[in-house]
Amino acid sequence: MAPKPPQGLNCTALHPPPFLLPRSTFRAQFLPQSTTRTIKSTFTPRPSRFAPPTTGLPTLSASSTAALARKAASNTLPLRPGALAIKKGMTAMYDAESGKRTPCTVLQLERNEVVALKTRERHGYWAVQVGAGWKHPSNVTRPMLGHFAQAGVSPKRWVAEFRVRDEGGMVDVGGRIGAGWWREGGWVDVRSTGRGMGFAGGMKKWGFSGQPASHGNSLTHRAMGSAGGSQGSGSRVLPGKKMAGRMGNESVTVQNLKVLKVDEENGIVVVTGCVGGPKGCIVKIQDAIKKPWPEFTMPPFTGKISGAPVLEAEVEAA
Amino acid sequence: MATQPASMRPLARLNPLLRHARACNQRRSFLSITPEDIRKHKPLPGFSSLTSPRQPVKVIPTFPPRPAPKHTCPDPVAFIEATQLAQLDPTGARTRLFAKYNSEGAKVGDVLLVRLKNGDPFAGVCINIRRRGVDTAVLLRGQLTRVGVEMWYKIYSPNVEGIEVVQRMQKRARRAKLYYLRQPRHDRGSVENVVRQYMKTRAALGVGTERRKEAGLKQKKSKGKKKQVAPAA
Repeated sequence: MAPKPPQGLNCTALHPPPFLLPRSTFRAQFLPQSTTRTIKSTFTPRPSRFAPPTTGLPTLSASSTAALARKAASNTLPLRPGALAIKKGMTAMYDAESGKRTPCTVLQLERNEVVALKTRERHGYWAVQVGAGWKHPSNVTRPMLGHFAQAGVSPKRWVAEFRVRDEGGMVDVGGRIGAGWWREGGWVDVRSTGRGMGFAGGMKKWGFSGQPASHGNSLTHRAMGSAGGSQGSGSRVLPGKKMAGRMGNESVTVQNLKVLKVDEENGIVVVTGCVGGPKGCIVKIQDAIKKPWPEFTMPPFTGKISGAPVLEAEVEAA
Repeated sequence: MATQPASMRPLARLNPLLRHARACNQRRSFLSITPEDIRKHKPLPGFSSLTSPRQPVKVIPTFPPRPAPKHTCPDPVAFIEATQLAQLDPTGARTRLFAKYNSEGAKVGDVLLVRLKNGDPFAGVCINIRRRGVDTAVLLRGQLTRVGVEMWYKIYSPNVEGIEVVQRMQKRARRAKLYYLRQPRHDRGSVENVVRQYMKTRAALGVGTERRKEAGLKQKKSKGKKKQVAPAA
């Protein structure tokens, strides 16, 4: 920071009389005096490295509005919500013309219904909360029972949130999402929790080479070896050092899977390739963000953000 | 002497009365408290909030679940495989040929001939049948240019035009996988002669003449580049 120039009217009064001041200061009184004595910067402010003006992107700022605008500009938020499905297993499909065999994963949608909506005004972003499966009401806590009751849906076994770009992706609360949401030939991203491997050593978890089986080696064949240098390198283990530990049981996203088959009646969606997690695990399917958005027509959105009318009707009936 | 009224009796006469009351109380304590007692009970003024009955628990309405697709289609993988097989093997002949309990079907140890849509036919000893629904495959061991070759063929692949049993094994194999045929002392070697003999008999019987000609032509044409067969199916 540049030094502050003296300010105020009587700042000279604080100085000693001129004859007591050093010679150089005394002489300076005859020169034209400027009120500010600072170092002038020769650099103009640099354009942002992340959103330079040439790109036309909005300038970076910390507000939530700017963050949403950035997200919209990056075009990585799907236009509509996805659904929850159960991984049922793998098989193969043959193309009758070319005879090409494609390994595929069979997913079955489980009674997906919209439970709640997240709006820009109230929550700061747009999202659709989707519930799937069924849970016996006696196993559901009262707060959650109320949550499902206000949506007018049965208690759900799984609940997940799907972010969407804007209001256009909203679905009425209580609305259903079935396998017909997707078309054959479309592209989806599938995310699920991978298998947990438990506590795994460095060789399995990170692919370390281990140590030789022989050449005088004894009792140390699968150890990770050294964790870092000694005095010259700081005699410490650097943060993020790959070591043995819990492996797996993490979210796994597989992008750009092609939809090979859709059976709306049985809730089946068949996608190419493999999907993380064991058979019977819950997976989230949503439109692929790295492919052009699919053409679709959303069910008419009436702006209903709770299933209250259904609830009242139910109460009257009871 | 005239009897005195009760109020005028001496105090000592109260004893039997009190005894009676005590006994009544004791008896009462043995009995359980009836709901009527609770209803009649009036709390002391100022303590009503402590003893007042709780508000009844609000009933949260729950909605019945929709019919689940898992009930209409409990095994989607099998369902998808069945739809696939209906297209790939409409007559079910291929399924029957490799069915486990079909005594007439192909077994390990048999010499099989696989005709392909695009590529040469391949013949060899079947050393493994991997039954996996639509992914069912057979492993054939034969010889090409006097080098032992093993080929996997998916039996339902549209590229596989036909599979024929050329020669059955004399005795039933006592293993499911005849990997021991890879050992030099067990290797069956080339099955070319067996296949040629089979072709001749078939020609004499006049079965599938056109097919045989096709296969024969292909065999002659592409003798030099047999290795290209490898990535097929």
